[in-house]
Amino acid sequence: MAEVSARRQHAFRILMRRHMPRALRVAERIVRDPVEADDIGQEAFMRVWTHAASFDPQVAKFTTWLYRIVLNLTFDRTRRRTFQPLDAAGDVPDTGPHAVERLIADEEFRLLNRAMLALSDRQRGAIALFHMEGLSGEEAAKAMNLSAKAFESLLGRARTALKANVQKIQDTGSYA
Amino acid sequence: MTPDQFRRLAETWGGDVERWPAATREAARRLAASAEGAAVLDQQARLDRLLAAAPEIEAERADRSSLLVLQRLAGMPQQHRPPWHRRLLRWPALVPAASLACSVMVGVWLAGAIPYVHPSSDPLSVVSGVFDVYAIGFGSVQ
Repeated sequence: MAEVSARRQHAFRILMRRHMPRALRVAERIVRDPVEADDIGQEAFMRVWTHAASFDPQVAKFTTWLYRIVLNLTFDRTRRRTFQPLDAAGDVPDTGPHAVERLIADEEFRLLNRAMLALSDRQRGAIALFHMEGLSGEEAAKAMNLSAKAFESLLGRARTALKANVQKIQDTGSYA
Repeated sequence: MTPDQFRRLAETWGGDVERWPAATREAARRLAASAEGAAVLDQQARLDRLLAAAPEIEAERADRSSLLVLQRLAGMPQQHRPPWHRRLLRWPALVPAASLACSVMVGVWLAGAIPYVHPSSDPLSVVSGVFDVYAIGFGSVQ
C-alpha cells in the first residue's frame, strides 16, 4: 500500500490482482447483479487509488478498508435503486460429487437465495462478511463501521429473518 | 451459560463455537459436548455451509475489471499544476536560490574585507603586467 500511495501503478496492479475477486464477490452477494458488482469493484479500486494516502495500516488491515469501501458503495447504490434483480438467484455452484445430493443442495441453495432477497442490504452484508468471507465478528464489525454488539445483533437478525423467509417460501410453495 | 443462551448464540454466530465471541467460547465448549448442544450446533452448521457458498468470480472477469480501472486512471486529467510562484516556494526550487544568495553574500563580504589596491600606471609595470599575462596564458605550467 505504501507503494500505491507513492503512485506506483505496478504495485496497484498487483493489489488489484490479489483483491479484485474479493471486492466483486462481496458486491455481488449484496446486489446480486454481476454487472453492477463489476461497477462497484472498479469504483472501489478507483477510490483505493485516489485515497491511498489516507490509508493507515495502524488503524485497519487493507482488506477491512477495502470491504468498507465496497460496502459503502453497495449500500449507496441499493439505496438509490427501486427494483430488485431476480435473475442471479438461480446461480448454483457445482460442488457435490453425487448427483442426488447435489440436486438437494442446489434446491436448498436456490431456496436460500430467494429467502435472501427479503433481507436488507446491511443484513446481506453481515452474512457476506462473516460467513462467505470468513471474517471474525470483530473484523466484520470494523468493516461495517459498527460496534461488536451492533454487528452481533445485525447478524442474529439476519439469520433469524432468513430462516423465517425460508419457512415462508416452503409454506407457500412458491419462490416468488 | 444456560442451554437457552447457548441456543441463541448458536442462532447468531452459527455452528462453530470457535467463531463465537471469545468471552463465550469456554462455557459454550462445555455445552457443545452434550448431545443436546451438539444437535443445536449441527443444525446451525448446515445453514452456515449454505451461507458460505460464494459467487464464483472467474479470473478473466477480475482481470477485465482491473484493466478497466487502469484505463479510467489513464483517462483521468493530471493533477492541477500549481502556479509558478507556488512552485518557487517548494524546497527543491529553494536550493539554487539559496546557493545564489550565499554566493552574493560571500562576494559582498569579500569586496568589503579586502582592501582595494590601485594598479600602478608607470610604463614598466604595464609591460611587466602584459608579460605576466602572456606567461600565464601560453606555455606556462599554470
